[in-house]
Amino acid sequence: MREVEMMTGNTAAAWAARLADVDYIPAFPITPQTEIIETLAKWIGEGLMKAKLVQFESEHSMLTAAGTASLAGARVFTASSSQGLLYGFEMLYSISGWRAPLVLVNVSRGVAAPLTLEPDHNDVLSARDSGFIQLHAENCQDVLDLILLAYRVSEDKRVRLPSIVNMDGFYLSFTREPVRIPSKEIVGEFLPPYTPTLPFCPSRPVVKGASVLSGSLYTYFKHNMHESMIRASEVIDEASRHFEELTGRPHKPVEGFYLDDAEYVLVMSNSFTTIGKKAVLRLREKGVPAGLVKLVMLRPFPAAQLARLLKNRRAVAVFDQNLSLGLGGIIYSEVAGALYNERKRPETLISVIGGLGGKYITMEEFEYIFNLLQHPEKIEPGKPVFLFRKDELRAVENTIKLAGVV
Amino acid sequence: MSETRYKTLRDVPAEEYLLPGSPECAGCGAQLVLRIFLKALGGDAVLVNAAGCLTLLNVYPYTPLKLNWMYTAFASAPAGAQGIRDALDILIEKGKITPKEDLKVVTFTGDGAAYDIGLHAASGAIARGLDFYYLVYDNEAYSNTGFQTSGATPFATSTKTSQPTTLNPIGHEGVKKDLFEIWRSHKPPYIATIAPSHIVDMLRKIERALKYRGPKLFIAFSPCPPGWGSDTSETVRISKLAVETGVWPLKEAIYGEVRHTFIPKVLKPVEEYLKTQERYKHLFHPRRQEKVIKTIQENINQYWQKVREKEKLE
Amino acid sequence: MLKIRFHGRGGQGVKTSSRILGRAAFLDGYIAQDSPIYGAERRGAPVVAFTRISREPILERGYIFDPDIVIVVDETLLDDERARPLDGVKSGGIVFVNTQSEQAQVENVDDKLFIKYSITDAALRVIGKPIVSSPSAAAAAKITGIISKESIIQATIDELSELGLAEEALERNLRLVSEVFDTIPTPQLKILNGETTPREVIQLEYKGVIYEDIVNVGNASLRRVGNWRIFKPIVDYQKCTGCMLCFVYCPDSVISLDAKNKPIIDYENCKGCLICVKECPLHAITAVREVKIYA
Repeated sequence: MREVEMMTGNTAAAWAARLADVDYIPAFPITPQTEIIETLAKWIGEGLMKAKLVQFESEHSMLTAAGTASLAGARVFTASSSQGLLYGFEMLYSISGWRAPLVLVNVSRGVAAPLTLEPDHNDVLSARDSGFIQLHAENCQDVLDLILLAYRVSEDKRVRLPSIVNMDGFYLSFTREPVRIPSKEIVGEFLPPYTPTLPFCPSRPVVKGASVLSGSLYTYFKHNMHESMIRASEVIDEASRHFEELTGRPHKPVEGFYLDDAEYVLVMSNSFTTIGKKAVLRLREKGVPAGLVKLVMLRPFPAAQLARLLKNRRAVAVFDQNLSLGLGGIIYSEVAGALYNERKRPETLISVIGGLGGKYITMEEFEYIFNLLQHPEKIEPGKPVFLFRKDELRAVENTIKLAGVV
Repeated sequence: MSETRYKTLRDVPAEEYLLPGSPECAGCGAQLVLRIFLKALGGDAVLVNAAGCLTLLNVYPYTPLKLNWMYTAFASAPAGAQGIRDALDILIEKGKITPKEDLKVVTFTGDGAAYDIGLHAASGAIARGLDFYYLVYDNEAYSNTGFQTSGATPFATSTKTSQPTTLNPIGHEGVKKDLFEIWRSHKPPYIATIAPSHIVDMLRKIERALKYRGPKLFIAFSPCPPGWGSDTSETVRISKLAVETGVWPLKEAIYGEVRHTFIPKVLKPVEEYLKTQERYKHLFHPRRQEKVIKTIQENINQYWQKVREKEKLE
Repeated sequence: MLKIRFHGRGGQGVKTSSRILGRAAFLDGYIAQDSPIYGAERRGAPVVAFTRISREPILERGYIFDPDIVIVVDETLLDDERARPLDGVKSGGIVFVNTQSEQAQVENVDDKLFIKYSITDAALRVIGKPIVSSPSAAAAAKITGIISKESIIQATIDELSELGLAEEALERNLRLVSEVFDTIPTPQLKILNGETTPREVIQLEYKGVIYEDIVNVGNASLRRVGNWRIFKPIVDYQKCTGCMLCFVYCPDSVISLDAKNKPIIDYENCKGCLICVKECPLHAITAVREVKIYA
């Protein structure tokens, strides 16, 4: 294996699981995630990694097994997407409540109906309240690195909460680019072995998952999980520094791009950030003081860092590749909340919805956003702006005509 | 059958794995089944539970158990068992734990989980040949939520969602799913039905199952005094009647081959069984529903006729 | 507003008690609110239910922390650490205890008035079963002094019919309700201090991850569920042959065996299901009514 290799996001995820020497991989196929489990199954079959991969009858079962195996002491890796994540959704809350520090890769895909394959983030953001740490990847290298980081943070005894690492379907899952594979030694140094807390044991039995049936106890445990999640922020910083020392690659929960003197800032996450960065460069060429903030960590939500990066800006747009029907962008609301107590908060905060179901975002659309930031009077404040183009509309209308329903 | 350490009730092991103080109802048939089951199984086990009455064995911070327990969710206890089994296997294989730390993995659910919401999880686990035990306490309804109809509710039972009315005097119009046969279609090494009145039969079956690797499945008749409307003291009696009237056949299937472990010489009339429980009261009051009672009896007769014919052939 | 809190055990029907009282107040023209608290209640576990009665709109919900009147349907709850039925009763409030007392006794204890009467025995006399839900409501109604007999009777009819009670059983319930209503006095409710003790609000601290695991396995015996019992199994060791059946069939593992295989019953946790009584082939175990008198 070369140190740098062309690989898809899916392959990068499989590599991370292999490097982390995971013990157990409960699996269930769903596009566009399937390649991850196929790759791992192949490697295990060839003896390239020592782990047990078991294919289940559903994501609900898969996630249940993932959680119980993690409590039993196995380092667990699993993956899903969209409908699959939602089918197993109940178990997300269980897994975090059990303090099972597994890592789940979600390959984002729009949620039916209408049924589709390409990405948006309604799937992964539906899990935002579940007690999973969430790290979102911009490129295939991020996928590999963030999974390793996720294991380190999730298994840390100050945190003990599971993680979701998100990558966009197609734009990362099936897209190849060069990815640097850290050596076994480096990963070994970065990631200590997983030591479970009170695993099942014949000589010292343990009851896990008991009901509490009390609002006070329930609140007490939930508060404890919340505080652990908040602590995860520091642990991520600490782990990132170590990772950077070992690999030279920094991974911050929130990353700025051309922020120093930026007056107009776009906040976004995941793979479209790459295109957003190109738009910023184009605007800079035209003399617009544009900048970008990339959200890598969605949970714990980096409110303080965001407020620090966004204060004193003239206008900020939050690009949501998701839609809370009847409200607008999910991350917009969270950013607005983060800024409310910042006295020097930007005067203008615009909500932009784009990329639903993988709808491509062109340069024109990014420029449109920055144009609105410079002329916010053109729109109703707080009302989300849907990115859509005339050529698209024409094509969509023609398609609908073919369906025959007027 | 082969040698057994269980010949009479005197051989019931004294060791208790379910200690006093549980919050389950007085006279709970399911809890009696669990207690005896654990005596034969031993304590080096983990029970993997789905939502049901016996989930409340463990209400934080109390447990009556002396062995490991994992509550999962309503639909996926067999998958939870798979996760633990697989984890123990791979950790032993990788030398991360010793074989001494191994555990028997037992899925333990009620009929709602086994017959309905968790059926596909069980089917998957059995088809994968998972080395586990599955003990179903079948109280023939969703008792934990107040006794609503489940896939295990027999024909003509009154439940909270099948109350007999003037429009429908019968009660539950569907039939009880045959979980034994559903499971048997997967050809696991061992399946048995058990009843808390027939303790030696139960112990021997668990003893036999211990020898097999793969899915070992038990369906336990489990009287539920509040749901069935029976006196708490009647739990064992009702179980005995269920067996003697042929309502609850005691049998096992080894790799799909069925054998009845108790064949009543003469079937007691099913009425004797039905009359012990308020859930069948509507069949006798305010007036006797002859046709319905006859249908129930005929179904039982037909079942046993087939059993007897098969026995004769053999 | 009058706040009434019912304490009973799963199966005793305190939810029904609170509803009968709520409906009776409603029929009498009051604004009423009734509710139960659901927990892990199996038959026998402590259960609570509430009725609020007012002339004004009720701006409260849920648990009643400061009742004017407490109805203890099951006396054994008085020393149950988790039930704590007397908690928060207002100074000058009234506590009704269903205890072994054929006549209604009234006495002052500290700053509260206690009324003691055995509705269980009244029920056994009139209905033949220890039904305590409707008579508890009747007792509570009478104690309030503001509910008419007519309404408590009508409310009992309405609520029990809804539960599908047969005519004959309903008839007996009504006789019992009437008898209890007539027997229980209406003492004057003089709330001396309506203020509840202030409870301090704090900020939760975080001292690291807390796992919701239980490793004190077998600790459930601390629950002492023996106080769920109405009848107690008593072994006649002269008759007992040590056949072990009672040990085998005990669902709660409360029967252990001595050297001669004779049963030793752990009464701390015997729930009184009486399977042992039924199964003993020599009738060496008998059921005796639990007697506990609380001063």
